[in-house]
Amino acid sequence: MTQQTSCSCGETASKRKVLVYACSGAANVAEIADRVARQLTAEGLGQMFCLAGLGAGIANMIQTARDADLNLVLDGCPLDCARLIFQNAGVSNVHIIRVTDLGIAKAKGVPVTDQQVQIVLDAARQALATA
Amino acid sequence: MKTIQILGTGCAKCQKLAQQTTAAADALGIEYRLEKVTQIDQIMKFGVMFTPALAVDGVVKVSGKVPDLDTIKALLS
Repeated sequence: MTQQTSCSCGETASKRKVLVYACSGAANVAEIADRVARQLTAEGLGQMFCLAGLGAGIANMIQTARDADLNLVLDGCPLDCARLIFQNAGVSNVHIIRVTDLGIAKAKGVPVTDQQVQIVLDAARQALATA
Repeated sequence: MKTIQILGTGCAKCQKLAQQTTAAADALGIEYRLEKVTQIDQIMKFGVMFTPALAVDGVVKVSGKVPDLDTIKALLS
């Protein structure tokens, strides 16, 4: 079976190059961020990219983030780990969404609800429409 | 000798980047080996999400765009 791949040059589309990151922490708010990042990717609104790669200082991945038109960063809580990773990497074309700013409390061992994911998803879609 | 790699599946933009890069390298008079990396799985190993991309000695210099000649010269220098 041959896997069908497509060119990512955007030759026929004028879409912005948007990368999406989730803070990938352990709490519920991080799970929400992860689910939203994957949903945005599934909808074609951006491409999820690996925050850990930037945190590890992998030069090629940092360059990729710099070359994006926009890096949409989903931080779970006020520790702002993802924002700090971008700050340390010197990448500034960033829009940050913090899940706890949207009225969702940080907790561990608490199941995430679809409604919570929807709240953040709506905020992310809005941000992509205006950022 | 520099190893210059053009990352992309072979569309018009990728070919343009290859042409521009060749022109830039020739204008600079540097010794180089140009390689086209066209397989997605190989491209992904570079950590890029957007093609075409230009890597010099394994380091990605730019991705998702075709810079002008002077910019490419600067990236190769």
